[in-house]
Amino acid sequence: MISTWYFIRKEVMEAWRNYHILMITIVFVIFGISSPLFAKLTPEILKMASGSGMTIKMPDPTSVDSWQQYFKNIIQIGIYVLTVIFSSTISNEISRGTLVNLVAKGLPRYAIVLSKYIVAYAQWCLAVLIAFLISWGYTLYYFPDSKSPNVWTGVWPLLVFGLMFVAVTVFGSTLGKSNYLGFLASVIVFIILTLLNLFKDIKKYNPIALVTDNMSLVKGTENISHIMPAIWITIVLALVTVYLSVLVLKQKKL
Amino acid sequence: MNNANIVMDNLPLFIPLILLEVGLDLAALIHIFRHKNYRYGNRILWVLLTLFINPIGAILYFVIGRETY
Repeated sequence: MISTWYFIRKEVMEAWRNYHILMITIVFVIFGISSPLFAKLTPEILKMASGSGMTIKMPDPTSVDSWQQYFKNIIQIGIYVLTVIFSSTISNEISRGTLVNLVAKGLPRYAIVLSKYIVAYAQWCLAVLIAFLISWGYTLYYFPDSKSPNVWTGVWPLLVFGLMFVAVTVFGSTLGKSNYLGFLASVIVFIILTLLNLFKDIKKYNPIALVTDNMSLVKGTENISHIMPAIWITIVLALVTVYLSVLVLKQKKL
Repeated sequence: MNNANIVMDNLPLFIPLILLEVGLDLAALIHIFRHKNYRYGNRILWVLLTLFINPIGAILYFVIGRETY
């Protein structure tokens, strides 16, 4: 366990020196600011696009629009930025042979997977929470209404979804020497989950519910117990995927 | 409402956004012009990506385009 701790410290140092932490912070601060901004500007943009002859009656933007933009930014762009950053985490070290010395000196292989996973997940949490806090501050300031009462209930499923998504990225990264496999694996998993969502019966158990049902949670039209089965399945899948990555790395020639 | 008005009304949103995006782009452009070799692509590709796909282009350059030693 002590080796896991030391490897975690090495990983944090690497993420810092690679500017990964800095870039994640900048991108998600931009997302956090642009969510309430786009919510505010959408009626204006539509007005300009429709020309002067027509008058479109647009309802004034509310905090609901702002949170909608937030979830759209995170789910459609944000998680892919993160997987691109994490995608080469293990494959890079294997292709450059930097793990050989450490493993020969007695670093257990599970420690490598575990610490990479923990540090990547910590960066995921950092990203989601930074964007959340900034978006929250601006939304409270610009849209002081009571239309989105359960904001935090809508956001923490994103953190749980990250448990599985980061695990899939790390798993893909252990599979081969290519730096793209991690990214590819997570995109494929995301597509499969989206397709599974077409079947009504499994909708309740599909992990993708954690990133698609956020708005109804925020508005309070749906209860958290509705996606509880999906949350448990996501956690179990995450554990299984991490275990599989350890198994794959154990068989691998470094 | 004209464009200038929109910007003036939302200054607390626009100022940090513009600062961050311009800062990130400048950092990426300076890095691109100071280095000759990239892991993937060439100089023209990275300059175009950085300038026209905000802010993803600059991030992509730093993550996969920048040569690491």
